[in-house]
Amino acid sequence: MTQNLAQAESTDILEPRSRRTHRFFKDLLRTQSAKLGAAICLVLVLMAVFAPLIAPYDPINMGAGQALTPPNLAHWFGTDELGRDLFSRIVYGSRLTLQVGAIAVGISMTAGVLIGLVAGYAGGWIEAILMRMVDVLFSFTETLIALAAVAVLGPSLTNAMIAVGISSIPFYARITYGAVLVEKNKEYFKAAQAVGARHQRLIFRHILPNILSPIIVVATLGVSIAVLSASALSFLGLGAQPPSPEWGATLAAGRDYFKRAPWITTFPGLAIAITVLGFNLLGDGLREALDPQQRR
Amino acid sequence: MTQYIFKRILGGLFTIWVTTVAVTLLIHLVPGDPVQIMFAQSQSTTPEQLEQIRQQLGLDRPIYEQYFLYMGRILQGDFGTTIRGNQPVLELLLVRLPNTLLLAASSLLVTMVVGVSAGFFAAYKRDTWIDTGLMTGAILGISIPSFWLGLMLMYVFSIRLGWLPVSGTDLKNLILPALTLGLANAAAVSRLTRSSMIDVFSQDFMRTARAKGLAETVVLSRHAFRNGMINVVNMLGLQFTYMMGGAIVVENVFAWNGIGRLAIQSIFQRDYPTIQGFILIFATVVVTVSILLDILYAWIDPRIKYS
Repeated sequence: MTQNLAQAESTDILEPRSRRTHRFFKDLLRTQSAKLGAAICLVLVLMAVFAPLIAPYDPINMGAGQALTPPNLAHWFGTDELGRDLFSRIVYGSRLTLQVGAIAVGISMTAGVLIGLVAGYAGGWIEAILMRMVDVLFSFTETLIALAAVAVLGPSLTNAMIAVGISSIPFYARITYGAVLVEKNKEYFKAAQAVGARHQRLIFRHILPNILSPIIVVATLGVSIAVLSASALSFLGLGAQPPSPEWGATLAAGRDYFKRAPWITTFPGLAIAITVLGFNLLGDGLREALDPQQRR
Repeated sequence: MTQYIFKRILGGLFTIWVTTVAVTLLIHLVPGDPVQIMFAQSQSTTPEQLEQIRQQLGLDRPIYEQYFLYMGRILQGDFGTTIRGNQPVLELLLVRLPNTLLLAASSLLVTMVVGVSAGFFAAYKRDTWIDTGLMTGAILGISIPSFWLGLMLMYVFSIRLGWLPVSGTDLKNLILPALTLGLANAAAVSRLTRSSMIDVFSQDFMRTARAKGLAETVVLSRHAFRNGMINVVNMLGLQFTYMMGGAIVVENVFAWNGIGRLAIQSIFQRDYPTIQGFILIFATVVVTVSILLDILYAWIDPRIKYS
């Protein structure tokens, strides 16, 4: 009986899955900005996957060209203070950027969603303690949490990813918690509860699939926040260390040659901005596709 | 209202208490021996000296004892001394704190003026090219890293045009950092203001105000703007917190002598007493200002009856 109920809920009987997927993508790519966002993200992924084929020079070894060469046909983005090709460094840097996005968001989403689910579902003193802790973390600001984590772990790109991941946990916890409270009062949940579904089943088969939409939207926008925070840590010298082609670190290294060679700071910054823009636009598009009420 | 204020203050005190516990634990979470890490950069320290430092910091005692020792010292205003140079941490932080507050406050002003006016006009001219242009600007603004924006502004206004100094601590030096931090956050505020104003413009009282023949400026300023601002003012506390967080990065771009710059230096030097002091002071300031702004909000908005 429980099985049948759950199945009836999880598959929408009015519309086949393939058509639903089609409609979702049509909704997602309805606006020009969402199309642009999806295109930017796609280019970024392709760039990361095919970096060795795209980059004309080695990103780390010196000797690609003369030091501090302005952008020209041989070096599209110019060269840095060690004569490395900046375009190649940015192409390879995209791998690190995607890694940062995936790992940091993975950490904050897993922990945050779990905390939110448990707090919202359990209620009582568990809810009080967990959400009070989330409130406290929230008032510290993400930057402070990330800095404290790096101060403990020591500067490195991996530690920066962990730090950024930890710093966003409260955000995911709050969104999930709010969504769980809404779902808990819906008929389907009460029905499942009434037929005696276990806690685990109620949480993971009934609540979680129904609150995925806001979490997906937040996670997409979260990638841009993670990329921004991690590149800021690298810029401050607390993330990726030389000779890593990470964009924030490359940009920071160019500061000493700012007057003579502004391209070293300009291009990595542009790369960060375009990436973040891509995920922001895609996130906004997802929000509109998944939650048509938000359309303005 | 009194009850609300009391509750907020109690919540704030709880946050600060959690901070003190976290700060004490911080040094124990460091992988390896924190004392050795702290002195890794100076080779001349002998094992005896390291032991002495360990005792001085109380690291040889049980953790709960360390907490009470640390709290006892903090309450007496003794935040310890820096690892290098033996300077009192509290003094170092308090000398720089006004600079950070000045930067955060002026950036908040930039954020509010730019963000609110852009959001207001975008909503008023909804679905026109002005709206599209402003909101395109806003999404670009959200996506640009503040440290890069700062460097680009510095390149244009200091290096190319020579209008403003590259770095320093007098008021002229405040313009670029405040613009950088303010503009970076104005984008988010403009989006919030726009959606809040769109809600207000579709309300019945707006139609009534226009129908009874009020001048458009009166309708906009008295009816629309005031109501639309409720959500925005409510976000002031949160915005200030963002400014304080953003200041840490921006201070390092412009060599602005605030606590954020000191914090980054002390993380590099693994100067844990200074890092601990920084986290405590930062959290206390952020919590206190947020409470004050929330109380101000409750006081301004007469409809809100807090229970």
